[in-house]
Amino acid sequence: MAISGTSTGWPRVARYAVLTLVAALVLFPVYVMVVGAFKSGGQVLDDPLLPTSVSFDTLRDAWSAGKLGRALVNSTVVAVLVTVAQVITAVLSAYAFAYLRFPAKNVVFAVFLATLLVPFEATVVVNRSTIQDLGWLNSYQGLALPFLATAFGTFLVRQVFMQLPKELREASQMDGLGHVGFLREVAVPLARPTIGALALFSFLSTWNQYLWPTVVSTDDDWNTVQSGLRALSQAQIDKPNLVIAAGTVIVALPISVVLLVFQRQLVRGLTAGAVKG
Amino acid sequence: MRRVTAGLAMVVCVLLAACGSGESILRAGNDAPAPSVDQPSAAPGPTSPGQSTVPGQSTVPGQSTVPGQSTVPLQSTVPGQSTVAPAVPTTLPRPLDSLPACRVDALDEAAAVGPVEVLFWHAMSNELGRELEQITNEYNASQTRVRVQLEFQGDYELAIDKYLQSNTDNRPDLAQIPEYATQLMIDTASHVPVQQCAEDAGYSAGELLPAAVRVYSSEGVQWSMPFNLSNPVLYFNRKIFREAGLDDTAPPQTLVEVGAAGLAIQASGAAAYGIALESSPNAGGGWVLEQWLAKEGEFYSNNDNGRSAPSDRVLFDSPRSAAMLAETQGLLTTGGGIYVGENPGGQDALLKMADGSAPASMAIASSAALGPVLQAVTNGLIPGVGADDLGIGPMPSPNGAQGALIGGASLWLTAGRGDAKVAAAWDYITYLVSREVQSRWAAATGYVPVNSAAAEMEPLRSLYTSDPRFRVAFDQVVLAPDTASFTSPVLGPLREVRSIAAQAVGQALAGADPSTVLEEAAILANEVIKNYNP
Amino acid sequence: MTTARQRRTRREWGLAALLLTPSLVILGVFVLYPLGRAISLGHQRCDATGTRCRDNGWDQYLDVFRSREFQRALGVTFRFALMTVPIGLVLGVALAVLVDKQLRGMSVYRTIFSSTVATSVAVASLMWFFLLEPSVGVLADWIGGTAKTPGLLRDDSTALWAVAVSSIWANLGFTFIVATAGLQSIPAELYESAYVDGAGGWTRFSNVTVPMLGPTLLFASVVLTGRAFQSYGEFDLLTGGGPNGSTTSLTYLIYGKNSTIKSDLGLQSSVAVLLFVVLLVLSLVQVRSVERRVHYGN
Repeated sequence: MAISGTSTGWPRVARYAVLTLVAALVLFPVYVMVVGAFKSGGQVLDDPLLPTSVSFDTLRDAWSAGKLGRALVNSTVVAVLVTVAQVITAVLSAYAFAYLRFPAKNVVFAVFLATLLVPFEATVVVNRSTIQDLGWLNSYQGLALPFLATAFGTFLVRQVFMQLPKELREASQMDGLGHVGFLREVAVPLARPTIGALALFSFLSTWNQYLWPTVVSTDDDWNTVQSGLRALSQAQIDKPNLVIAAGTVIVALPISVVLLVFQRQLVRGLTAGAVKG
Repeated sequence: MRRVTAGLAMVVCVLLAACGSGESILRAGNDAPAPSVDQPSAAPGPTSPGQSTVPGQSTVPGQSTVPGQSTVPLQSTVPGQSTVAPAVPTTLPRPLDSLPACRVDALDEAAAVGPVEVLFWHAMSNELGRELEQITNEYNASQTRVRVQLEFQGDYELAIDKYLQSNTDNRPDLAQIPEYATQLMIDTASHVPVQQCAEDAGYSAGELLPAAVRVYSSEGVQWSMPFNLSNPVLYFNRKIFREAGLDDTAPPQTLVEVGAAGLAIQASGAAAYGIALESSPNAGGGWVLEQWLAKEGEFYSNNDNGRSAPSDRVLFDSPRSAAMLAETQGLLTTGGGIYVGENPGGQDALLKMADGSAPASMAIASSAALGPVLQAVTNGLIPGVGADDLGIGPMPSPNGAQGALIGGASLWLTAGRGDAKVAAAWDYITYLVSREVQSRWAAATGYVPVNSAAAEMEPLRSLYTSDPRFRVAFDQVVLAPDTASFTSPVLGPLREVRSIAAQAVGQALAGADPSTVLEEAAILANEVIKNYNP
Repeated sequence: MTTARQRRTRREWGLAALLLTPSLVILGVFVLYPLGRAISLGHQRCDATGTRCRDNGWDQYLDVFRSREFQRALGVTFRFALMTVPIGLVLGVALAVLVDKQLRGMSVYRTIFSSTVATSVAVASLMWFFLLEPSVGVLADWIGGTAKTPGLLRDDSTALWAVAVSSIWANLGFTFIVATAGLQSIPAELYESAYVDGAGGWTRFSNVTVPMLGPTLLFASVVLTGRAFQSYGEFDLLTGGGPNGSTTSLTYLIYGKNSTIKSDLGLQSSVAVLLFVVLLVLSLVQVRSVERRVHYGN
């Protein structure tokens, strides 16, 4: 046990001291924000470090001014939509690459690979006008559509499929399972941890999108939490900070809960790209 | 890996130094060499035949002032002007029947079936938004023919962007657009001019403030309806003024006086700073420069601010502008002032007055902030300072002249969404600019009423008597002289030009040489204008 | 005799087409087409109403690349990456190493250090705005005079660092989690044999941990570099690209609030395409360094 670490030379006290200090630094912005959120409007210049009151006024203000309730619903709908679609499209195309033979496979694969290299920021202008031409500004379709498939997800799942023993496919063929049956009953269940990780990753990145929701919605009923927070912060003339603090706390809370629940998938999801692919 | 990144970065940086052209991105694709400072773009570029105009020659018959001669004498000697073909595209009145029509009786027909929905994009936040909401709710409740639905757009910039990026289907029936985007809106060719409705309805614009109507009219057409007027005023802390032994009822009017007050305040120890200056485009940087030039009787862009013929270049690189900026720099070095940078919201100068440890005692900001600021001060924004301690004075300027250009926003009727929508929106507009509503709107927000009769109505009349601070911006509109330079420039890309000018002001306030930064800014701005009118 | 096999092959083709179509449609319409369209728009200039454009030929790209705004934004972007990526990596790995021990309470620290992964760019930026905002920010107050006037976020020389700090903070959760996972995948026997060989703590760190962590570090640095080059929200909320353009990154030059090219679809596309090219070059470099330097376990 003692030697599994990397630096036994470190005295324990020093280690704890450093860790506690850094932990305090990391938590400091969160603390100040939460304290601010529970102050009332007139207390903007009170000592920001002392919770002088527990008032819900500011939180209420932020909730209604930023239409955060509606924004939370929007974000949830879009994130779930994108997550489900990404998992499905990724599994399907990954299966094709891993198990099927078809002409120009390498070319198609290269096309997928190429899309990984295009930063979304480079396509926003044109994508926006596409969505507009479809008449889908201010809609769930508009917010979700460009993200329903990713090459990243495809590669991730393909990687797992390719690592499954070949014998599995052969055995299932002997049992009379076709491709669809094998995909549904063998491949997907075995890839479940990876699919779970992909799902959480998709959910998180969709939830956190900032630029796209701000360009594709013209109506504050179609704000996501991120663009709603932006609108909220820009609308503040006086007492700038407390309402912003409150809005931030409201927006940060649900995703923190989600992450606490899905901790294990998170680690896999975040490190997924590190697998050799 | 990090070494690779760092190494690559170094390689790129070396490459950059070698391949950077030093020219502005706004010149990209233009093959003509950059115009030098000595020869502003009076020389016509190959891409804009016939666009170039000669300032000083373009005077409209009957116009009393001759621009380009009285105000900018240097310009008339610029080489190249004499060689330019004198084909001056003078602005002609636009015939109304060439523009989308308005049938106000379409509302009667449509309302017989059911209420007409009007979608209204606005940019009024917080208290302003709540007041607009109340006014609109009352309108909706007062009749059954029109239902106005408000949609808050965040701020003016977002509202413009969203309008531009939308097509007829996604656009609102009515949009609140800031004054500086007026020409841009005209150029989208997507509106029913309010004058169409006014003529069709036999509406008399007699009560509207003439200056407000003028700013939203060009080519002989009134395009949009002024709704919320504001202009910059001086906010000052009367408590600090008293503690410094200054007269808290006579705020400084000229920059010299601002500097003197700032020094007195610093010397007395009443506050850390005199005036707080900032440089954002739609406040201290861009807008104030336009205001000051107007007060000096100078034009911001050629051809009478673009009102006698399209402007093809800006004039803010004049020696007078540089002198004004230099004087402003002096406020920072020897006038007790403090530069607080730029902020898209333009609120930093005001917030500096609320700084607990090193406050400023004055700031120039839009009168539109008066309502919210008073509210915030009442809520204790500045410790020990009550609402009565906040003083409001006319906007100081280098020469202390009275009057101000009109800022704020107007209401635009979108064309192509059906006659009934236009007629319904027009009905709502006339309600919004009625004397009763304007009186109440101005009293609640601090905006200048666009209806001159509103000041004689309750509640505004009592407010103007009991609290003259609210009257300052109104007086600035009324006192503005009726001259060509006192009407805002019509420039399609004014938004970009203003942001370029604001950057120059910011650089100057940070210590750069005023004439250099203004000349550079003018070259860029001219480039933007040229690209806008290809 | 050809029939059975051919039929099966053809069925496989059909199935493949069916399975690939959803992804191909989305990727084609929302990744490849916009890229192509942007490339063609990139040599045009358009007016603010977006209706009239004129073609200037390919050398418009060169003009844009060489223009001072682009060069400045590119410089800002590189500097931002150089500020955030190395510091973020070192912090993440250092914390992961410190926490990587079966001591009491380590799980608490692990949770705390991972926690910033729950903050979106908007949340993280506004938290830091709340701290740094000159008029009421706590940190601005503590750091004192220079921070107050005009404020860290409003001063040319400090604004980019201020944004970088918020970004490092926001990315800490990610780097910490990835580094921790990397550490846990290092077989304990390696440490044991190093210990038997008499290697001290530092030697074990530099001879076992760092090389074995190679792939993880590379992955994290690729992700962080990508994020740095594409960051937009933190600039939008903290500085608005200012003061004086000192925090106008490439993405902010394209989409930002006070961008002078925002109303010119052509110039916007030019810069967007160049952003793509820059990232492409960068990833090529990174891929090469994968091949050269990194030894995968298997």
